[in-house]
Amino acid sequence: MSTVMLMAAEAAAENTFTVNGPLIVASWEMFGMTWNLTESVIVQWIVMLIILAICLILGTGLKVVPTTRRQALAETLVNFVNDMVDGSMGTKYRAYRSYIGILIVYVVLCNLISLVGLRAPTADVSVTGTLAIITFFMTQYNRAKTGGVKGYFKAFLDPLPFMLPSNIIGEISNPVSMALRLFGNMVAGMVIGGLIYFALGNVMPPVFIPAVASLYFDIFSGVIQAYIFTMLTMSYITNAECE
Amino acid sequence: MATELQALINPESMKMLSHAIVLGCSALGAGAAMIAGIGPGIGEGYCGGKAVEAIGRQPEASGAVTRTMIIGDAIAETTGIYALVVALLLLYANPIASAFTKVWMPK
Repeated sequence: MSTVMLMAAEAAAENTFTVNGPLIVASWEMFGMTWNLTESVIVQWIVMLIILAICLILGTGLKVVPTTRRQALAETLVNFVNDMVDGSMGTKYRAYRSYIGILIVYVVLCNLISLVGLRAPTADVSVTGTLAIITFFMTQYNRAKTGGVKGYFKAFLDPLPFMLPSNIIGEISNPVSMALRLFGNMVAGMVIGGLIYFALGNVMPPVFIPAVASLYFDIFSGVIQAYIFTMLTMSYITNAECE
Repeated sequence: MATELQALINPESMKMLSHAIVLGCSALGAGAAMIAGIGPGIGEGYCGGKAVEAIGRQPEASGAVTRTMIIGDAIAETTGIYALVVALLLLYANPIASAFTKVWMPK
């Protein structure tokens, strides 16, 4: 009886749905650490190549008076980013335009690349964590730049000195929540898509339902989360300003 | 029947049984963690309702209201995402079950 139960358990275990992290393509030892080259990095290289191609296609042969549709599209995109930065950060933060622009394009492409069957790099917490840490350091830089050393440390004692621990926790929890928000949304889309395919695989050919789910979880959620990530980056940088 | 029961009650099968209990409780914990989805649901619904009210009162400010609403939604969603991460860890990373295996079933 027990052997039958064991066999049933093993058969069930083979048919279960599992979620795997990104594949490790290569790994090597250097400086006493193991360095892994994961699928996420490879897909990010592909995304970078796509961005390079977009820049080369849209950015060459520009004229003062636009005559091509290419240039009209490029100007629409650049104007969108410029208006977004001016609207949420104010005109004195125009130096951040290039970073904000590349951030939104990069995160949108990283989210949408799952449509062609690659694993979205943003479904890896190390990628989203890196982006959030960049935001964190930009926030600290802006606080130190606008307030000086004194203003930087005074901001942690605001409004009252005994609030110091909660201010420090709040400062650290910003990048953590940003990283986990993007990661959680992307990984949830991946898991739900996988579960739908897994559940439908035994019943019917997966035709209609995965497409609708993918429309929401891949396209809508991917674009909205990229927008939110960018907007939060902008508002954290602006809020760190000392008077 | 008695011999089968005796065959079942041995250290090996007891270890397997306890492992199964740990796995089952992990699955229950994942489900319980997702109860936290109630909070973001209420919060985002409130946020969206208020945004609709504001746009109804001031249709010309719909762009700014929508932008602010999306940011508010994202902030309200944070706790739900934390719960999701906890649930996914319990389901697919099995931290408790692997700690259990390390302690009780050393290779």
